Amino acid sequence: MSGPQARRPSVVDTIQSTDAFIRGAGRSFLVTLYTALRSLKLYPLENVQVQKSLDDLAGSVGQILLREREIELRVTGEFIFVNSTRLRLDLDNYASFSHVLGILRAVGVGVVHATDGADRREWTSFLSLLLAVSSRDSANRSFELANRMRDAGVTHIAVEPPMETEVSEEEEERVKEQSKRTYQRSVAVTKEVINSVRMGRSASVKKVKRAVQAIVDQVLSSETSLVGLTTLRDYDDYTFTHSVNVCIFAVALGRKIGLGKLQLYDLGMAALFHDVGKSRVPLDVLNKDGSLDEEEWRIMQAHPWLGVLTLFGLRGYGEIPFRSMIGTYEHHMKLDMTGYPKAMRARQMSIFSKIIAVADGFDAATTRRTYQTTPIQPDSVLKEMLENPRRGYDPILVKAFINLIGVYPVGTAVILDSYELAIVTAANPVPEAIHRPIVRIVSDPTGTIMYPGHVADLAEQDASGAYLRTIIKVTNPDKYGIRVSDYFV
Amino acid sequence: MGATPEIALPPAAVEELIQALAKGLRAHQLYLPNNPVYQRALETLRAAFKPIWEAGDELVLDVVEHEFRWEGSVVYSQPNRNESLAWVFFKDGVRSLTLLPGVEQDEIVGLLDVVHRARTLQPEDNDDLLTLLWEKDFQLIRYVFQDLASSEAGGMPIPSSDEVAVSAGQPRQVGYAVEEEAPTRAGVVRADDFDSTLYFLDEKEVAYLRDEVEREYATDLRRNVLAMLFDVLEQQPYPTVRAELISIFESFLPYLLGAGDFLAVAYVLREVRVVLQRAGELLPEQRKALEDLPGRLSQPEPLSQLLQSLDEAAAHPSADELGELFGELRTEALPTLLAWMPKLTNERVREVLEQALQRLAVANVPELINAVTGTDPMMALEAVKLAGRLRLKQVVAALSQVLGHEETAIRVAAVQALSNLTVPGALQALEKALDDPDRDVRLSTVRVMMQRKHKGALPKITAAVQGKSVREADLTEKMAFFEAYGSLVGEEGVAGLDAMLNAGGFLKRKEDPETRACAALALGKIASPAAREALERATGAKEALVRNAVSRALRGPGGELG
Repeated sequence: MSGPQARRPSVVDTIQSTDAFIRGAGRSFLVTLYTALRSLKLYPLENVQVQKSLDDLAGSVGQILLREREIELRVTGEFIFVNSTRLRLDLDNYASFSHVLGILRAVGVGVVHATDGADRREWTSFLSLLLAVSSRDSANRSFELANRMRDAGVTHIAVEPPMETEVSEEEEERVKEQSKRTYQRSVAVTKEVINSVRMGRSASVKKVKRAVQAIVDQVLSSETSLVGLTTLRDYDDYTFTHSVNVCIFAVALGRKIGLGKLQLYDLGMAALFHDVGKSRVPLDVLNKDGSLDEEEWRIMQAHPWLGVLTLFGLRGYGEIPFRSMIGTYEHHMKLDMTGYPKAMRARQMSIFSKIIAVADGFDAATTRRTYQTTPIQPDSVLKEMLENPRRGYDPILVKAFINLIGVYPVGTAVILDSYELAIVTAANPVPEAIHRPIVRIVSDPTGTIMYPGHVADLAEQDASGAYLRTIIKVTNPDKYGIRVSDYFV
Repeated sequence: MGATPEIALPPAAVEELIQALAKGLRAHQLYLPNNPVYQRALETLRAAFKPIWEAGDELVLDVVEHEFRWEGSVVYSQPNRNESLAWVFFKDGVRSLTLLPGVEQDEIVGLLDVVHRARTLQPEDNDDLLTLLWEKDFQLIRYVFQDLASSEAGGMPIPSSDEVAVSAGQPRQVGYAVEEEAPTRAGVVRADDFDSTLYFLDEKEVAYLRDEVEREYATDLRRNVLAMLFDVLEQQPYPTVRAELISIFESFLPYLLGAGDFLAVAYVLREVRVVLQRAGELLPEQRKALEDLPGRLSQPEPLSQLLQSLDEAAAHPSADELGELFGELRTEALPTLLAWMPKLTNERVREVLEQALQRLAVANVPELINAVTGTDPMMALEAVKLAGRLRLKQVVAALSQVLGHEETAIRVAAVQALSNLTVPGALQALEKALDDPDRDVRLSTVRVMMQRKHKGALPKITAAVQGKSVREADLTEKMAFFEAYGSLVGEEGVAGLDAMLNAGGFLKRKEDPETRACAALALGKIASPAAREALERATGAKEALVRNAVSRALRGPGGELG
């Protein structure tokens, strides 16, 4: 006879506590790993700081091994997983995560696997080799790293290339469709709100909330597909598509700088509403072809503060959207609070407004609209935003934005040294290859336009280390009859 | 479930869980978290998950109108939509709910909260179950929903890739054009244009962003929005815009007060003044509306609400905050503040209110006089005390008037107030209080007369000392009158007092010991040689009371009064 029935190990206990444990211990592991890498890069091994950082790393590793028996550090897309638990990126660990992510990508490592026995010596050797290999100009650095690790007697730590994320066509299509639905619905909701305000009807903020929540979800799960849709830029529905584009860019930029989900939501709401004041600008001014006269500009320049008044009228005082009001009011202000509207009372500009300003500035300048019939090429817009302080954008946010969408932003049409035409579809996930984006090649070398074309990573090299393709020029897609957005739907 | 074989889960266990969930929801609605009933309901709910997790590592419930179904079996049904838990989910589009192990620890409480809130939402509210679920960011609760809103959304047409393929089907020979164009143009962004730090934000930049985000969430958003609104009000001359803004400010004040944001209220009132000074082209009615805005807070009802909320608040604002707010009150606030002063229980609030009261009273004495002579006794009492503290000479007549008030406390306060005033009229006014029917008033008055050596009161005090009335009073009052008499009368009173203290013997009636003791004290106040001689003659008095009084009086000027 057995005694009283022993309590089966509860799935709850296991999963819950493991998740929580790994989130904490994994974060500590990543941070100590980063510190050790950085110390080893800067100082000799004997240095006290290096020794301490290695002690700390050994401590955090030991903590995980003691409980889990193994550590699997996996890099997938922009995410880092430790023992299958995704570590959350926030502003406190942004630099550490980015650095680790970058160096592993540079060496072509997707997985670091450590088991019991991976002691301080092995970690020291591994990190030293990782640094050494990362600085070499070699075509197959991950292979070289693995070999040198074996030679150095690192037997309890193994590296593997990035897992092939074989996203099935079906899955890709599903994500694309979901992005399109999110985009379409967001445009519809924005249109509904702005038109309702224009007609003096009540507008549903609930729907706006849902739209922004969907954008945040989409950006968090599959940023590229949604960012690609910002190339749609419907001429007739400019105000609505522009609002949605700004929301998408702002949320994606917010994510890039480590904002949490609910913060992204706050930012997204402010971004989607940023031009709501245009609902009170007369249509003949808003849609006027050609340049605006002085009075018309004055009216247009009223839209930020008209937006605040509109938001006051949009709902009862139960929940005043102060943050959205501030974003709406400040999105045409410059870093020094000049611009418009004119600030008379001292206060500091909100970072959300600065983010919206960057997203707004980029989308507006790259879009054809009534009073700007020729859009500026995205790369030139970025350059101007970064280099011309008179534009008044926050340079750090512009830099983060370039991190996000690449030196050649998504949707840019480029000519390659192979004389092929291509459209940038995503920034390269390898930060060092920021000038070598992922593109869709849309013409063959004979010059025939292709649809849907094929995807190429411009960081791809041949056996000798030479790049297969390189951008030689940014071009105007209209010149070739290419509608960029076609390649994102 | 790993290697452990799954145990078949009877639908009854799921039914039991949903029942526990429904009971938990009721408890969540009715009780506070520390209530034992609520805690028991939560324990029961948590326990109901145990058999579920022993059988599987997720629980998927389908939501079908007013029912929850599990594996095809109905495990919950409540046709009454108002009461149905399932309907709360169904009506906002949730069609499936998946609970994962661990949900019972924390997230279940969040779920109860969301469902409770969703039930109370009105159609015009800005949330529904889906927005609330999303905001909770549950990790162990998943849901599948039908997007009811999107079906009615319409929206811009986005072509499918098939449609695009058709339109892009015409090949274009672009090779030549590409080659033509190929030389690079200036101004294109290249990696070389940027320093290497473009790839990553460096630590300083990350720190800057972190600080900015922290600031974003620490910033007083209301204040910022108010500043914007005032900027617009000041700069935009459009009358309709200004009217809209003024209307916002008018509705904003009660909102800010309700939120306990007193600094913001003070800010609004202050900035209104600034706008009135600086804004050009204000229409007369708008100017008036702005001018009236601070006055509204000083009106009895709103101000009473404010004071009540302050007094009842669990957390009180700082003295600075209150000071800033009360600093904006206008004269018309005075009566309300006076009426509330004695009711306030929080010392800090009282202190700050006192400062506001003093400021308002000094600035508008007639209003204070009205309060002193007003019909509200509580207000009158506070006004009298305030007038005394402020030593406002203009209030003498009013204070003199309330010496005839039916409330003793007010008459006593008036005596104190008048005693603080250094003008002769104040003490003259006080003389009549020596005849007050109330002992406390008389006592206070006679002490004032003695302290201030007000000779004008001597006839009344003499009459009292020599007459019957004081002799019938208690010892304290009797002493006060005699001492006052001694202080005021001087040498000429010695004979009479000596007679009271020492007279006696054949055919002469001896005064009672209390009167003799009082006479001794009065002689001590006179403190002349004759007075001393009279006192020395009484040192052998039989009565201890008299002997002690004589002894005190002889100890010297002041000593006898202790």
